[in-house]
Amino acid sequence: MILTANILARLVAIVVGGVILQITFFSQIALFHVSPDVLPSLAVAFGLLGGTLTGAVCGFSLGFLLDCLLILPLGGGSLVLLATGYLAGLFRERFEIHSPLVPPLLCMGLTLFAQLGFGAVELMLGIDAPVSALVVRDMLLKSIFAFFLGWAIYVGLRRALRPALVERSAVRRNRRPTVLGA
Amino acid sequence: MYRKQVRRRRAILALLVVGSFALLTVTYGQGSDGVQRGVSTIFSPLQSAADRTLKPARDLVNWFDETFDAKGRNGRLHTELEAARKQAVGAQAALAENAQLRKLLGLDESGAIPGGYTPVTGRVTGRSPTVWFSDLTIDVGSGDGVEVDDPVVNGDGLVGRVAAVTGGSARVTLIADHSSAVSAKIVPSGVQGVLKPSVGDPGDLILDFLDSERRVGKGQSVVTSGWRGQGIESDYPPNLPIGEVAEASLLEQEAQRQVHVRPFADLRQLDLVQVLTGGSRG
Repeated sequence: MILTANILARLVAIVVGGVILQITFFSQIALFHVSPDVLPSLAVAFGLLGGTLTGAVCGFSLGFLLDCLLILPLGGGSLVLLATGYLAGLFRERFEIHSPLVPPLLCMGLTLFAQLGFGAVELMLGIDAPVSALVVRDMLLKSIFAFFLGWAIYVGLRRALRPALVERSAVRRNRRPTVLGA
Repeated sequence: MYRKQVRRRRAILALLVVGSFALLTVTYGQGSDGVQRGVSTIFSPLQSAADRTLKPARDLVNWFDETFDAKGRNGRLHTELEAARKQAVGAQAALAENAQLRKLLGLDESGAIPGGYTPVTGRVTGRSPTVWFSDLTIDVGSGDGVEVDDPVVNGDGLVGRVAAVTGGSARVTLIADHSSAVSAKIVPSGVQGVLKPSVGDPGDLILDFLDSERRVGKGQSVVTSGWRGQGIESDYPPNLPIGEVAEASLLEQEAQRQVHVRPFADLRQLDLVQVLTGGSRG
């Protein structure tokens, strides 16, 4: 990703807008009694478009802002979303994305990972109540929602950050040999 | 050059991971600190504006969810929803808000709110996205007289208590949060116990008995006991309605000394709440 002041401003706006939208809209709607969580999908999209560093930094920022606005202990959200963005970036650096289904599937998988991560952080800090089996259902439904929302987020983010992206197909086209003396 | 880039990238990643752990260690159990207050103050107007702007869209989505839910339950609700479908979404939102305010007013006038407490009405502006936290943010804070540990109710009954405050907002920990424990009693039997949540299922609370001699029946009401003594006292005033006994099998009562309680307040759908400020604490 080519970082300019303009792109940096867009990244900040997307991170702030994403967190505000999550806590004022997505967290307060219910589909099948479960609220969608778009922040892991956003971190995944950042990772897929910008690589490990962009994914990790944006994931950290998303988590930090979320914890600040919800007045929760700082660090938990940052750690989980940092890991989510980093893993998505690692995927992009190791594998080529051939199918349009890959980003939403990755959003689905990594949202489940993030939910488990939030659970692990919470268990690490001490949980003093019985855990209902409904938690598992909620996590799975959140992951399924992430499949659909993740696709839209990835497409939207790709469009918003297009000037900064290095398209692999464009690189390949540029490498086509030029015939000299023809 | 490439190695240098890789080293720099690894250093940033390590810094972020270490930073996260450091933040977690430093801020856990400390409540809100200066950074959170600052960020919250900056973004609070934006959050509040977004909350109001997105309310019709939220109501629309929630309306679909409720419609599916109601269809699955019974024909009577189905008929009511058919009629409701004809109304504009905006009008529905206004009606719902009106009904909530009337309920809150009814709670004030019914005497359920004990003397000495001043109710402060607040709007829910944010909610925790994970299933592990049952927290919400409201748009009233210390500037409105709200303090940490103030009880929070809605028109149906007890909702939770204030866990942290900033100037213009407060975080409310719901009674369905894993860290919540409410001293409660069943009326009219008078059986006392501690009400704890079942994580992930806000419609199910568990009342652990302290006294198992008296039998408890399904449908009996559960209210706060508001005990005090030996220098300690409950965060909640007495006799605030909490819920009703949903399941009270003899086996559970005798073997585990517990019953299941369904809260009166719908903890998944909270728009307006009242913080009971003041009172006899402190």
